[in-house]
Formats: sequence, structure tokens, C-alpha cells
Amino acid sequence: MKSLMIRRMAIMAFTVSGLMTLQGPAVAAKKLFVVTTIPDLASIAEAVGGDHVETFAIAKGYQDPHFVDPKPSYMIKLQKADLFVQVGLDLELGWVPSLLDGARNPNILPGAKGYVDASENVPLLEIPAGDPTQLRAQGDIHVYGNPHYWLDPLRGKIIADNIHRALVRLRPEWKADFNRNLQSFKSKIDRKTREWIERLQPYSGTPIVAFHNSWPYLEERFPFDIVMFIEPKPGIPPTPKHLVRVIKAMKQNNIRVIIIEPYYSKKSAELVAAKTGAVVVELAGSVGAEPGIDDYFDLFEYNINKLIDAFKQAGIQPRATED
Amino acid sequence: MKQKSVLGPVFLIGWLILVAPLYSQEAGNDSTRSAKADSADVLDEAELEKELARQLGLLAGSETDTSATPQQPSAPAISGSVARAGSVLNPRISVIGTFFGSGTGNEAVARTVDIGLSEAEFSFQAYVDPYTKADFFVAFGREREDPFAGPDEEAANLSEYEAELEEGYLTTLALPFSLQIKAGKFLGAFGKLNHLHPHAFNFVDYPRLYINYLGDEGLADRGVSINWLMPNPFDLYQELTLEITSGALGGPAFQGNSKDLLYLLHLKNFFDLNDDTTLEIGLTGMQGPNGIERYRTRIGAVDVTLRWKPLRMNRYKSFEFMLEALLSRYEAGATTISSKALFAFLRYQLGRRWFLGARYDYSEFPDDNQRREKAYSAILSFYTSEFQKVELQYQRGLPAWGDAFNRILLRVVFVMGAHGAHKY
Repeated sequence: MKSLMIRRMAIMAFTVSGLMTLQGPAVAAKKLFVVTTIPDLASIAEAVGGDHVETFAIAKGYQDPHFVDPKPSYMIKLQKADLFVQVGLDLELGWVPSLLDGARNPNILPGAKGYVDASENVPLLEIPAGDPTQLRAQGDIHVYGNPHYWLDPLRGKIIADNIHRALVRLRPEWKADFNRNLQSFKSKIDRKTREWIERLQPYSGTPIVAFHNSWPYLEERFPFDIVMFIEPKPGIPPTPKHLVRVIKAMKQNNIRVIIIEPYYSKKSAELVAAKTGAVVVELAGSVGAEPGIDDYFDLFEYNINKLIDAFKQAGIQPRATED
Repeated sequence: MKQKSVLGPVFLIGWLILVAPLYSQEAGNDSTRSAKADSADVLDEAELEKELARQLGLLAGSETDTSATPQQPSAPAISGSVARAGSVLNPRISVIGTFFGSGTGNEAVARTVDIGLSEAEFSFQAYVDPYTKADFFVAFGREREDPFAGPDEEAANLSEYEAELEEGYLTTLALPFSLQIKAGKFLGAFGKLNHLHPHAFNFVDYPRLYINYLGDEGLADRGVSINWLMPNPFDLYQELTLEITSGALGGPAFQGNSKDLLYLLHLKNFFDLNDDTTLEIGLTGMQGPNGIERYRTRIGAVDVTLRWKPLRMNRYKSFEFMLEALLSRYEAGATTISSKALFAFLRYQLGRRWFLGARYDYSEFPDDNQRREKAYSAILSFYTSEFQKVELQYQRGLPAWGDAFNRILLRVVFVMGAHGAHKY
């Protein structure tokens, strides 16, 4: 038993150190080690921090960020972190608190210098009205508003501001670099966003169906309309009765595209597609969801391309762009 | 007997028929959030003020002036800090109810059918200050008969709920050298299962190993726990825990006395075999007074947990294997009784909401290694949402005394409020 363990540890040691590619404290002595909950935040932190940061994202881009297992190995990362960035709004409630408790790193606890809630100052959508104690009757509702705000590139600029403030707080001597990086990130976002909107403009107002309510911010920024969900209530698996309603509505309104996240089973979406002739398209919810989506810009590039391809495939005619 | 063992499935089916169509409450991670989470330290002055406050030990949570956000004039003030009126400074509170039903064959128990709420657990959790965090778990529960122990008229007819402090402890957050100290009454660091509350188990009853050695509710003793995240060049998770507790609440293998304490040492090793698979191996050693004059019991235990859960579709498929085994040496005057116990558990996820599990139990007794208990269980679980599960367990028990019996157990666990994440 003992020798087996030692062997396993040795094997693990190689694997882990291979994967870690020099994130140990010895090397990180100069660079700031930034741990984020999702890869999108890591990508923004890299953009703002530049060469001064090393990042690690706990969740993978193709993983459902609501349901991440708080593996103790993540505590080791958090223990070494100079900065911890989370989405907030209770998106990570199921896993971050126990990781922070186990990390024994007071510098990254809520309220400390090395803690960033990326939702700070972000205008939110879908803040539920009414008595919060009754909300669970509505399914997977977030008391503070829909937490998928990183899917709007312009809100990404506010995230960058939040991270920038923390970086400056930790390393004021690198402020000039951080400022420069922040500015170039923001202007690239502005430029790119205009470009993306223009490309989608011919399909402006196209109604689509989504599996889960992850996309209100993407929808708000870009010209298409999500009119229905395959889930009867957020987080509740589709029921046949509800699917019938969706199919009927899709036929009546000639809706021909269904979008879905990579971490949900496509069975029901494909079923609906088969009945309506619609196209199912898997959009990326985060950086790293698919190979090639390596940073925050790739994320939108990928999604816009996918949407346009799907519109074409569904036979939706592009309109003249004067509206 | 035949009639009785049918009751369990009838409960479950009835429950599912009644409630399944209504299950529209899966839901997310809403709850109170730490009030000090989002201070917007935008101005250097505000930052300086905070820094000074921190240096003075006045702490961190004091909200800085959020109106001062010149960098984002366009952003309305509806950021994260929309607080629930009146509850901001309250601890995180949740209530967990356990509904229970059982049908037992033979004459293993006096009450062969039972039904009702078996427990309501209230938990309160909050940061006390920047250095500590406190957790309280109070349960109102009803005692039940143990069919392995034979009929017990008294327990069978108990209908009152008794309040019990399951846990109440302070945890440090900011000790140097990766140390953490817990003080109060808490679930001991024995094995893998012990630090979970029973509602979090993936089966309805405690394994016999726990009942026969550590007590009906596992090892929950009062004292101090010191744990150390052991630094190592490979960045492996290795945690060493030393617990010194009264021994008074240590269960059948231990009996507290005023001159001795219970000592427990646990080493937890955690390995990521790959993105989807993890392995945990734990070693526990403990010793404490057993109530016979000044004699002691010593226990050595090992726990192994292997989990597989693909990251991409992590809500649809998973597999878990768990094994715990112990060896005990119970000093009784001139002789020392050596005994052993183990349980093994397998669980496979059938779909997004369904799980199938199987458990095998083998247990001797700390003071008697000539007799043994065995049990075979099969468990079907249905998760209506993150906040409710229904479990149905069939068990064939081979008690040390008396005849083999069959029983069906049903349990519905439901959560209200913000229940913190369980440990992995």
C-alpha cells in the first residue's frame, strides 16, 4: 500500500509539474499569480496584467460554471494566489466558499486586497423582483441578477477595470504598464465589437431559441432575439409538454435556430430541431470551450461566426443593412 | 414480512407520482453573500483609508464610498451589492429536513413500519472577523430503533424530537504556515464519511463500521483540531490533522474519563489522476480511553475514494468508489481484543437525476471479535433539483444476534436557504 502510494505520488508529481509549467512560488516571485474561477476572467487578467501576471482558471471553458467540484487540488492554487477573481452574483456559491476556506490564504478572502468580484459596477440584467425566499419556485434564479455578464464584450471592459484596480493595488510600481494594457484592451474591444455588430446586422431581429438562459448579455449586445427556452424553467430539464409548446411556437413564428451550451445534453434540442427543421448550434459560453478559443476575443469571434453560419444554414436571408 | 418490505417502493412510487410533475424547482446558487465582498476601492484615497484601517486592525469589510466610481460613470449602481434587506449581517442560515420511512421484515424491530420527519437541521455560518469563521449546526431529531441491535420498545415508541448541538466551532483563517485550527464540537477527521452530515451521505443509514465503533452519529466530540496543509515541491494536496478531544463522545470503542483524552491523527492525500478522475487516500490513527479503568482503545483506519466525473458533461455521468476499513485494539485488563470492520460503496450515475448505488458492510465489535455483522444494500437516488433528493434503499442485514432481516428505507432530504458547499 505504502509503496503504491509513493509511486502514485511520484507519477502525480511529474504530471502536475508538467501541467503547471512554472507556476511555483519560486518563479512567481516576480510575477503576480492570478487565479480566476472561469477562463474568461483569466484571459482579461492576462490582457491587463501582460507579462506581469501568470494565470490559472479553475473551471474549464466547456464546464458548467454553476457546478464545479471543489477539488482540494484547487486549494493549492488558491493558497499560492496573489489575486483571486470570481464572477460573483452567487454563480460560484456552490464551490468557491469551501475552496477559499481550505486555501488558508487571507490575502484573497472577500474584502482583502487580493480579492476581486468582477461583477462590481457591472450593470446587470434580470434582477428578480419580489421576495427572494420565493425565488426557487422559479427554477435556477439568481437573486442578484443573471451572472453570465462576461458574454457582453463591453461589460468585459468593466471587468478589466475591476482587475486593473486590484493589480495596481498590489503592484503600484507597474501601474504604467497596467494602464497601457488596459487602454489597448479597451480600444480593441470597442473596435472589435463594432465589427461583430456590423457582421450580424444583416440578420438583425432574427428570432432564435436557446436551451438555457445563459445569453441575455450576448443578446443585448448583438442584433438577434432569443424568444424562448428549451428548459421550462432555468435549470429544470425539458419536459415533453414544454417541448411541444416550443415546437409549436417555432413553427408558428418560423424560428429556425437553436443555441445551446457545450455542457448540456443536446438530445432535447435535436429532438426539437428534427420536428421543426431548425439548426442546432453549440455556442461557446467561455474561453476554452472549443479548441481555438484561446482568449476573450476568440470567444466572440467564434460565437459570431457560428451564429452567421447557422443563419445561413437555416436559410435565413440576410437583409440590407440600412436598418 | 413480504407485505412490509413492499411499503418502501410504494412510498417512493407514490411520492414520485405525486410530486415528480411538480418538480420545477431546480435552482441556482442564490443566497446571501458576504457583505464585505464588494467594496469599490477606486480612489487612491479610499484605498489608503482601507489600508490604514487594516493596519489598525479595524478591518477590511468597511464599505468604501461606492459613489466614487468616476471610471464607470455609465454604470448604474446596481452592481453585486443588492442586499437582502435586514439579512445582511445575519449569518448564512439554512434548514435541512429529512423525511424518513422504513419497513422492516422479521421481528428485528418492535416498530416494523415507520414514517415521518426524522430530523430538521439548522445551520448558521458566518465570518466572525477577519481572522475567524464560525459554524453551528443544531438538529432536532427523533431516535429510531436499530434492527441490528434487536427490538427496542422504548426507542420504537419515542415520538419526541430532541434538540442536539451537532457541531459548533470556530475556524481560524489567517494563521501562518498553512495552519488552521478548529475549536468547539465538531465531526472528527476520521475516514472519509465522518466529517459529512448524514443527509449528505449517498445512502440512508450509517455504515455499521461507524455505528459499532464511533457511535450512532459518527465521531462528534468536543475539543481542538489543528490541521496543516503540508507544503511539498509537487504541489500535491496533503493535509495532516491532529485532534485532541474529550473522548466522552467517542462512541462504543471509547469512553471518556477525567484523566485521559482522545487523540486522532489523520493524513489526507489527494491526487488528480486526470481532469476527470480523482483519488483520495486517507490514513487515520486514534487512541483514547475505553472506560475500563485506565485502559485504551487504538484504532488504525484507511479510506480510499475514487471519483470519475467528466468535466464536459459533469451533470450527466459520474462514478464513485469508496472504501473504509479499520483495525481496532481494545485493551480490557490483561487481554487486548483485536477486531476489524469495513464498508465499500459504489455509485453510478444513470442520468442527470438518477443514481444507482451498492454498499457492503462488515463489522465486528470493539470488545468482541467473535461476532460479526454483515449488510448488503442497494440504493436508488433521484435528485429533483440541487435542493432535494429522494433515496430508496433495500438492505439485507445479517446481525450478530438474531435472524437475518430485510428492510426498505426511504428518505427525502430537502434544503431551504443557503447551504454551503460540501467538501469534495
